[in-house]
Amino acid sequence: MKIEFICNGKNKAADIEGDTRALDLLRQELGLTGVKEGCGKGECGACTILLNGKPVASCILPAAKLADSEVITIEGLSEANGDLHPIQKAFLDEGAVQCGFCTPGMVLSSYALLTKNIKPETDEIETALSGNMCRCTGYGKIVAAVKRSGELLEDNHGR
Amino acid sequence: MVLYKNPHSVKEAISWLDEGVVIAGGTDLGVKMSDPLYRPDSLVDITGIRELSEIKTDMEGIILGACVTVDELSAREDLPDCIRMGASAIGSPQIRNIATIGGNICNASPCGDTLTPLVVLDALFVLESPEGTREMTATDFFKGPKMTALKKNEILTFIKLPKERLSGRSGFRMIGKRNGQAISQVNAAVWTFIEDGVLKDVRLAAGSVAPVPLRLLKTEDKIRNKKLTPGLIQELKYQIKDEIAPISDVRASLNYRQEVTESLFEEIFSEFLIRRSKK
Amino acid sequence: MAGEDYRIIGKSHIKVDGHELVTGQAKFAGDLYFPGMLYGCAVRAAVPAGLLKGIDFSAALQEPGVVDVITADDIAGPNIMGVLPPFDQPVMATELIRYAGETVAFVLGETRKAASRGAALVKPDIESIPPLLSPEESLKKGARKIHEGGNITFSKKLIKGSIEEGFRESDLILENQYETTFQEHAYIEPETVCAVPAGDNRITIHASCQSPFHIRGHIAANLNVPMSKVKVIQSYTGGSFGGKDDVAAEMGILAGTAAIKLRKPVMVIHSREESIIGSNLRHAAKIKIKSGFTKEGLIKARDIKITLDGGAYASESPFVVMKALIHAAGPYVIPHIYVESTAVYTNKTYTGAFRGFGVPQVTFASESQIQEAADKLEIGALEIRKLNALRIGTTTATSQLLENSAGMVETLEEVESNPLAEEGFREDNLYLYGTGYAGVIQGISNGAEGIDVVGASVQMGQDGSVLVGTGLSELGQGSRTVFAQIAAEVLGVPLEMVTSRLCDTDSVHDSGPTVASRGTTVGGISVMKAAGEVKKSLLKMASIMFKTEEKNIILKDGFAVLIFDDSARIPLADVATAAYWSGFPIMNTAFSRAPDSEYDHETHQGTIYIAFNFGTHRMDVRIEKATGKVVVLDHLAVHDVGKVINPMLMEGQVEGASLIGFGLGHMEKILYKDGIIENPNLADYSVPTIMDRIPTKVLSVEEYNPNGPYGAKGIGEPPVAGAAASFVNAVSQAVGVRFDKMPVTREDILKAIGIKRREA
Repeated sequence: MKIEFICNGKNKAADIEGDTRALDLLRQELGLTGVKEGCGKGECGACTILLNGKPVASCILPAAKLADSEVITIEGLSEANGDLHPIQKAFLDEGAVQCGFCTPGMVLSSYALLTKNIKPETDEIETALSGNMCRCTGYGKIVAAVKRSGELLEDNHGR
Repeated sequence: MVLYKNPHSVKEAISWLDEGVVIAGGTDLGVKMSDPLYRPDSLVDITGIRELSEIKTDMEGIILGACVTVDELSAREDLPDCIRMGASAIGSPQIRNIATIGGNICNASPCGDTLTPLVVLDALFVLESPEGTREMTATDFFKGPKMTALKKNEILTFIKLPKERLSGRSGFRMIGKRNGQAISQVNAAVWTFIEDGVLKDVRLAAGSVAPVPLRLLKTEDKIRNKKLTPGLIQELKYQIKDEIAPISDVRASLNYRQEVTESLFEEIFSEFLIRRSKK
Repeated sequence: MAGEDYRIIGKSHIKVDGHELVTGQAKFAGDLYFPGMLYGCAVRAAVPAGLLKGIDFSAALQEPGVVDVITADDIAGPNIMGVLPPFDQPVMATELIRYAGETVAFVLGETRKAASRGAALVKPDIESIPPLLSPEESLKKGARKIHEGGNITFSKKLIKGSIEEGFRESDLILENQYETTFQEHAYIEPETVCAVPAGDNRITIHASCQSPFHIRGHIAANLNVPMSKVKVIQSYTGGSFGGKDDVAAEMGILAGTAAIKLRKPVMVIHSREESIIGSNLRHAAKIKIKSGFTKEGLIKARDIKITLDGGAYASESPFVVMKALIHAAGPYVIPHIYVESTAVYTNKTYTGAFRGFGVPQVTFASESQIQEAADKLEIGALEIRKLNALRIGTTTATSQLLENSAGMVETLEEVESNPLAEEGFREDNLYLYGTGYAGVIQGISNGAEGIDVVGASVQMGQDGSVLVGTGLSELGQGSRTVFAQIAAEVLGVPLEMVTSRLCDTDSVHDSGPTVASRGTTVGGISVMKAAGEVKKSLLKMASIMFKTEEKNIILKDGFAVLIFDDSARIPLADVATAAYWSGFPIMNTAFSRAPDSEYDHETHQGTIYIAFNFGTHRMDVRIEKATGKVVVLDHLAVHDVGKVINPMLMEGQVEGASLIGFGLGHMEKILYKDGIIENPNLADYSVPTIMDRIPTKVLSVEEYNPNGPYGAKGIGEPPVAGAAASFVNAVSQAVGVRFDKMPVTREDILKAIGIKRREA
């Protein structure tokens, strides 16, 4: 079946099968390998994408569900000129990245949270990122990075 | 090749079910499909049927479309606490954003976190098939672990929450092995109507302690029309012990389930008690 | 030396590979694609013990997209791998099935889905035999032999002094038995390997792996080609923690065999389930420990017997046996000690390296018992540890004299000077509270496991930029950043001018495995040496250009600068260009060798490690009485890490390792039923999520290590043991019951509270 959707701001069309996973479409057809597969069962969050602004697990999402929707992957976050998004910058500055395999998903879940709430409390951060597992950092620096992201975003808005 | 169908009406969806499998959010089906040998002929995606994603209120109560996401449920202030709390206990944001109430019901996992709330709220499930529409209580619907009364060509379309259960107090608790993305080792839901400190009416259900979400009728009888006191809560715990018969499995032992079920109900009622005395 | 003012060392630089990771541009092995690439998927035995009678793959070959199925017969080499001779692990089973995750065939498909469908359709004909599922069963007289040589994987002793004498001098003798369970690495990236026939009669292996040289050897041997024909390139690796070693070799052999047979690139990506059942776990341990204390709290003697469940194959078991053995005294002086450490074969997933490497298990036992002694003798937790702590001038259990860099006492004092507002046992209506302590020691370097060498290369371009490489792998821990910092410091260039590359086996000396918290310490020295050689050329060239002696020149900020006139500067690009045209080498390939260990193999007495990391952990917990739920209110981790090269990365290591330790102590448990793992997924195997994190506060003590770069020591592993053991001590205090099995889950806690209540 043919579907059309917007991915990272660009119109995309794809011919897929009913059991094609969104993850495979994005990685293999669109080359968006920043979308990672960690468990294939929606448990680890490495495959997180934003579907109409909300984090979802692309490894258990039929690609057909992308039809007529808007998708953001990690590749859609940084500027075309290579400049980092403030969340990405904060993740680096705070040491919230170790092996980096969970990072794209972590950053996208943080993005979804900060879009709704630029000054999240610790427990709000924890809830928002509870679907993203990280085995390297112990999470403390990730929480700090999300808080820092909020500050950077606020500065960017000139407030 | 697996086909993917996007019906626009319930009728259309039903007509495709001979070869097809219903998919709503797909968070359970997606896991099932990771089994390389599971290959349905077609997936019939009912989330495009507009009325199934709506929440309506009428004279009889609230009607939830089967495709309302659990994230939306958890955020709806007009819904009883227990169902909101149950919805927010499911999985992770990634799951809650797309998983549906209908999916949680039809998957019929004994640990499903919306099931016990639906049981205590006396929810009615609306099932549609070529033979027509029928309604069924939660108690009749769940037949066993992952087993329901749903027939081959039938779709769960709506969940009706009767008006009588929308007032009153309700609560939900669960416990798992960890805090995040926890699967319920046990969960507990309560609906009650308290007047002058007396439990005029009460409904209790426990999850993961039996093959289906279990209504605790005997315990209800013991505490109905009694004054909610710390003493009554102790009595209730004692009674619950006799009414549930959990098993040991990979998630928890029988003893732990038994003991924690009591604790979860204690917590819920203690909170009712505290909040009441503050008023 | 220690007080020297560094420009780049000692500062929290962000990771040099951070940009590509945070943008999703970094290519992990599974992100690679080569034209014509096939996917491979293993067929696993699914029974813990049996005889393979045949394999029916007719249905698989009929499945659309399935290209071929290979079996043990296709392996050109000996079909054997392992860490130590005699190697005992077949790549694919030939006859005997020794664990349920054993590979019996390997299906190739045009897509990953086709390969996995094909694999599910292959029907191995296996005659089950009764499995041996515990060390006790395997060691029973007359038990079936899992391997020809018997069921003992490896066994060693450590003997110091005379325990009889020690126990005679003791006033309090405690005897306990402790148990720990299997732990899964649960790196978020499952193991992935891609084999590419390069068209030059060589084969290139792109691997998510920990020890590229180790797997190169196994792949070459089993493909029956010279080692020089195999090039292993480490891809960005999504965590390893000890886990991506044997399994990467196995996958590389399978993919390589298929790639050669079919003349196509072959990618293998483990599913999460395979990652759990088909690659090594942390050893489950049973530890019998008897210690004698004087009434003042001095430990006089210890008799300890460690039995490790090694699973079906040796893997790293021999080394884990030794590491547990050597660390059985903890960071304490024990004059009389007798240790027996044994790994035993069972019909379960093989166990091997996992961050801590046997130390967390013995530390849990030792720290639990020391706490019990402290409680019985009414001595403070820090006091008893300080009383017995190793310090300069004392000797370890192996009689290694500590001559320097032994900050155990300092870590205890650091904890003491950061007191909690409230600590110890407390209780209120809903909660129980307790505080636990643990002392930690971890040897840095391969030590008794053999020679410890690392190769490095440092290359300066004519533009003054620097390329650094080593034979060690970046696994997320930040080694590329640390090596870049060291090269930048030596060469006086800004960090931005340094590129630190991933390891490939063509470019540097065989460096062994990236293990034993040795990366920074041994690898760093190698980078210093290589950079030092390049620096010599630069100084020589600059002295010609400045027409002055070399000693008057320093390299800093990308310039050669005269020491007596800071404005007299020549850009290093000019110096490097001139050096090139003058024929002075601006690249060097160095080799560092840690001081060898020298010890008696029967008693393990001698000098083993080049340095030790010491630490003290304190954890304060609150337990909900009704459910057993635990909240860690405070966790302080203090380690003597020598000179800190990069504080932010060091903290990241301690925080991350601590949470793995917390998982080990509290919630992670591989559940076996009849030899089959029942929870091979991340839903039922409970890895801590962000909602389960602990509030780790990291402090360091910097005792200069003369054997490490700028005085540094490793920190990757030690906090695992500290966090796990201090957690159990905290919970034990809160509940008032000594827990002798780890993990201590919510369920275990609630049960103990119930028993305690009924007793009262």
